Amino acid sequence: MSQFDIEFTFDDNTITASPGQSVGAALLAANLRSLGQTRFNKNKRGVFCGIGVCFDCLVVVDGIANQRACIVEAKSGMKVQTQVGSNA
Amino acid sequence: MKNPDAIVIGAGVVGACCALALTNAGLKVLIIDRGPVASGTTGAGEGNILVSDKEPSAELTLAIRSRDLWFEIDTDIGGGFELEAKGGVVVSRSAKGISDLKRLSALQKVNGVEVIELDGAGLRKIEPHLSESVDYGVLYPGDAQCQPMLAAAQIIRAVKKRGGSFIQGENVVKINANAGSITGVTTDKNQYASPIIINATGTWAGEIAKLAGSYLPIMPRRGFILVTSPAPKIVHHKVYDADYVANVASSDADLQSAAVVEGTASGTILIGASRERVGFKGDMDISILRQLARQAISLFPVLADIQLLRAYRGFRPYAPDHLPVIGPDKNIAGLWHAAGHEGAGIGLAPATGDLIAAQITGRTPFMDPSAFSPVRFKGGEYVAV
Amino acid sequence: MHNVVIIGAGPAGLSASLAAAAAGAPVLLIDSNPRLGGQYWRMSADDFQDQHNQHFDLDTGLLLINAVKARKEIEVWSGAQIWSATNKDGKNTLRIIYQGKERIVNTENLILCTGAYDRTLPFPGWDIPGVMTPGGVQSLLKGHGVLAGRRVVVAGSGPFLLPVAAGVIKAGGSVVALLEASKSRRWLTSFFVLLENISKIKEAFYYIKTISEAKVRARFGQAVIAAHAASNGELESVDIAKIDRNFRIKKVQNIKCDVAAIGWGFTADTSLAGSLGCNQLVAKDDGVVVWVDGEQQTSIPGVFAAGEITGIGGSDLSMAEGVIAGISAAKFVGCNVEVLKAHRKRRAKRQRFANALIRAYPIKPGWKSWLKDETIICRCEEVCLSDLKHSINELGATDSRTAKLLTRCGMGLCQGRICGRFVVDLVANELNLSPTDTDRISAVNRPIITPIPLGVLALGE
Repeated sequence: MSQFDIEFTFDDNTITASPGQSVGAALLAANLRSLGQTRFNKNKRGVFCGIGVCFDCLVVVDGIANQRACIVEAKSGMKVQTQVGSNA
Repeated sequence: MKNPDAIVIGAGVVGACCALALTNAGLKVLIIDRGPVASGTTGAGEGNILVSDKEPSAELTLAIRSRDLWFEIDTDIGGGFELEAKGGVVVSRSAKGISDLKRLSALQKVNGVEVIELDGAGLRKIEPHLSESVDYGVLYPGDAQCQPMLAAAQIIRAVKKRGGSFIQGENVVKINANAGSITGVTTDKNQYASPIIINATGTWAGEIAKLAGSYLPIMPRRGFILVTSPAPKIVHHKVYDADYVANVASSDADLQSAAVVEGTASGTILIGASRERVGFKGDMDISILRQLARQAISLFPVLADIQLLRAYRGFRPYAPDHLPVIGPDKNIAGLWHAAGHEGAGIGLAPATGDLIAAQITGRTPFMDPSAFSPVRFKGGEYVAV
Repeated sequence: MHNVVIIGAGPAGLSASLAAAAAGAPVLLIDSNPRLGGQYWRMSADDFQDQHNQHFDLDTGLLLINAVKARKEIEVWSGAQIWSATNKDGKNTLRIIYQGKERIVNTENLILCTGAYDRTLPFPGWDIPGVMTPGGVQSLLKGHGVLAGRRVVVAGSGPFLLPVAAGVIKAGGSVVALLEASKSRRWLTSFFVLLENISKIKEAFYYIKTISEAKVRARFGQAVIAAHAASNGELESVDIAKIDRNFRIKKVQNIKCDVAAIGWGFTADTSLAGSLGCNQLVAKDDGVVVWVDGEQQTSIPGVFAAGEITGIGGSDLSMAEGVIAGISAAKFVGCNVEVLKAHRKRRAKRQRFANALIRAYPIKPGWKSWLKDETIICRCEEVCLSDLKHSINELGATDSRTAKLLTRCGMGLCQGRICGRFVVDLVANELNLSPTDTDRISAVNRPIITPIPLGVLALGE
């Protein structure tokens, strides 16, 4: 088994991940630190607590918003998108 | 504050509106609450300002005036409480429900409420996510919403700026009277003299009446509200099932619930509304939360993917005839009641304050207040559950 | 025989499971992570790298994990989220999302081992991508084999900064600053406690060796007091300051980095215990923890608690408590077993060490002076310090609950887990009061323990 045999997309980028890796970890490994924008000030946010507590690393996964990148396991073919606000 | 002209007990939205109306009429007002601002029913409400859920009656007259007064207060004190003229949409999916709703809205229209009948296409034009199963509803452009805690806090802030005071964390333990006339109150910490007391303590109004040696049959009716995580604008109006109107008027002790769904300025969606008479029982009843979720999803299927973040319960103060109690106590001169608004306290608060202030200052009230008079209850006739 | 239901599969939960199973009680072990081990023994899914690299004592962890897996009496639900827990008439009901469905578990015998997460303090710029918790940086290393960035500042307070700095170095990163806010000599007052917990000293030296070999020198009495973003909105640099013994800023210097890992010890996650109605209390570090008696039993008979939720104390204390809780719970369901003196002695020794830690790393009130009016306090709802002050000075809030309801501070998706603890301090500070225990305990009250889709809620019975 190779180290990177999972591929998913983040907006327009193709991201590779190893089995069991979270979406957030794979994105950080690809040096993508900004995952979304806040709903009032439109500030950028990324992985903060890393263990599912803080809900800062929210992304849209396969159309469903408010998913925590740090705990959602990366799966091949996943479509991950930047979440802007609560994702209108 | 030394020798206020009037003491308002209760810093909920009804107490705040009474204090503002009296302050604007030139009185020096002291507000006392045993807890912080809006720590009772006000803090557990959705912020409904509705004209849609009332049969033509004295209460509807009160509601229509109160709705307009909310916008006057917004201008008067400079806003800051998320007041929004969002409009209400009442829907029904049963033949009987639809015919009742048609009858009610026709009567409301005659009484000055703006109503717009909508078919399925019309409904989905203004609420695109509404279930396909709904094909009749009525839009009430007059319905509005505010953030009730902020409303109470902002109004009390204005009262203070205009010379009034607010003392929190003091529990009224005694109502002082001399020869049948109010002389003031004693709290667990201090004593305050005043010839006028306004009892705006909501669910606890019966206790205050009792302290004064009088009687007021106000009881709690529990309700749960679900709060979702912040979501995109899915629900544009306050949308509710016509069964809600029937539940409001019902005197049944058992659980009743009907879907009430609305978005808020902060992006969360509020889902109500359950009603049950279980006293002040505070524990979380998961089966009620599930029922509310089911009913809300049946109106807006898209809610199934939205997350529940909080659930909270509050106790609506209600009188046996489901009408608010606004007016002078029948036994003690100087004691006034402004309580028992059930689930409509936020909406009815400004007009309640206006009626109280008018009667205290001798101004002609905007309507005949006798339907709300505390005199309508005979002592001991009703027993709280 | 009844099941003993154990929540959390870290050092405490694993130890409790094995102790209860060894005593003859069948165990249901429920955990939110995909793999056993908790935060302390968090591991990658795959064997593609040598995981010993990121652990001081992985062997103990593997021993416990493999023993739990091997025991037929222990049923494991991994990746399970408990969204509601209620106690009625002596029966506890857990509502759990497991494998995409809701499951209901009713039990009279529970052991809560729900652990802790990083304690954070706000500062200007702490919401910029690149600012993280030390636990976050470590979980990426341990659980995912990912280094969060090349140049890392590790700062805050407490011994946990050492393994995080060492982990970054072992993964090939560079620790550009390692800052401990407290003064080093505080430790000397706890000399005898150190001696009797010599294994902890070994662990510390293991990390310090890695750190000093990388020519990184820990600086005491210093802290990160602000973070700055580049034009792309991501972390570019932090301001580090020499601070006095009350954490007031003395001298500031700017340093470039990709990641700042900043933590101030830990906050116990007592939501589940609180929801059941277990009595909670405020510990010496002002954190809310679950009250337990000598048998690790909470104020609810049959409900036990062990590990960080009874007081922050590290993995060794968690294991010692877990064993006692496991035995006590087994006894409660009728197994013929007793807690031994040796168990209690081990716990007492670890407890003395934990107490010394809390004394050695005090968080001083001067951190509030680092904040500016526009500093974000509640990350979820983007409430800033001036909003909080407005709710107090203009809208009349006199307690943290009212301030929260008037500002939405702490009412977002994390349910106040990040800001709830220090908002109590900020509100009290603005009012010139000391926070009461009631303030602190009510800030951790969460009837919905974790957000649940309405569709899942609607389907349940």
